[in-house]
Amino acid sequence: MKFEKRRASTKQEIPTASMPDIVFMLLLFFMVTTTLREVDVLVDFKLPEAQAIEKIENKRLVSYIWVGNTGRMQVNDSIVKLEEIQNIMYKKRQELPNVIVSMRVDKNSEMGLVTDIQQELRKAYCLRINYSTNIKI
Amino acid sequence: MIRKRKIKEATIPTASMADIAFLLLLFFLVATVIDVDTGIGLALPEPIEETDIVPVSKERMAALLVNENGDVLLDGTPISIFQIKNQLKPRIISKIELPANKKLIVSMKTDRKTNYNIYIQTLDQVKLSYFEIRDEYSNANFGRKYNDLDEESQKQVQDKIPIIISLAEPESIKK
Repeated sequence: MKFEKRRASTKQEIPTASMPDIVFMLLLFFMVTTTLREVDVLVDFKLPEAQAIEKIENKRLVSYIWVGNTGRMQVNDSIVKLEEIQNIMYKKRQELPNVIVSMRVDKNSEMGLVTDIQQELRKAYCLRINYSTNIKI
Repeated sequence: MIRKRKIKEATIPTASMADIAFLLLLFFLVATVIDVDTGIGLALPEPIEETDIVPVSKERMAALLVNENGDVLLDGTPISIFQIKNQLKPRIISKIELPANKKLIVSMKTDRKTNYNIYIQTLDQVKLSYFEIRDEYSNANFGRKYNDLDEESQKQVQDKIPIIISLAEPESIKK
């Protein structure tokens, strides 16, 4: 009597026909959620650390001000002077009424500078600010 | 005899579609910025020309002074930054049940030469004490942490424990 190996009659391949669809779905998700990096940061800074921090939910509302360790300030793509901040931020606020200004200030800066910027922001009616900090573990 | 010519079925080869899609996917994966912005939120007061001086009783005020050397004064007594939370919390808690115009005001004042990092550490302590009290209050009254509450209850907690931080303009240091 001859023995024959019983083979499963089903195909032994993983169906890959739907792979492109799955990949496209993933792709679409990432395309929708991506906010591309818009600016090059021209100043050197290290953020301070804090515990009681909040997340900014809506990234599209955020507008940044960088202050480097030499006291240079950057808004958008260029280094600005203190006096120019008011005008720039006022224009921003007209485009986005509830703009959140995220202040990315180097941790060795002096408060005088920070307060000066805050005064400019007040004049431009950009009243929602956020001191950008890293989480302290 | 005319034979019907067999027409080859016209198909677009789709075998490479997955590869192309993967390439695109990879690009977006790399380009995506996942990190969320975190920080200490604050609302600045509106600019006003002339300020009305409203007298505030000493009872309500917690005055924090940070000088250029990083020393902190709370109501005139020197204190280390890490103690601020423990000192503030009982004072905030004692005012939870008082009406809105009697809640604690934390007033922060710095010098122009004060280090930004120390200012953030101080502000962090103040915020932290408020957050902890909100969590404790929510736990006691609603059985959940503040962040897990629905909007209406959050509003209630906010009314009970509002975060009032007054930023005084820094004094220029004397030469």
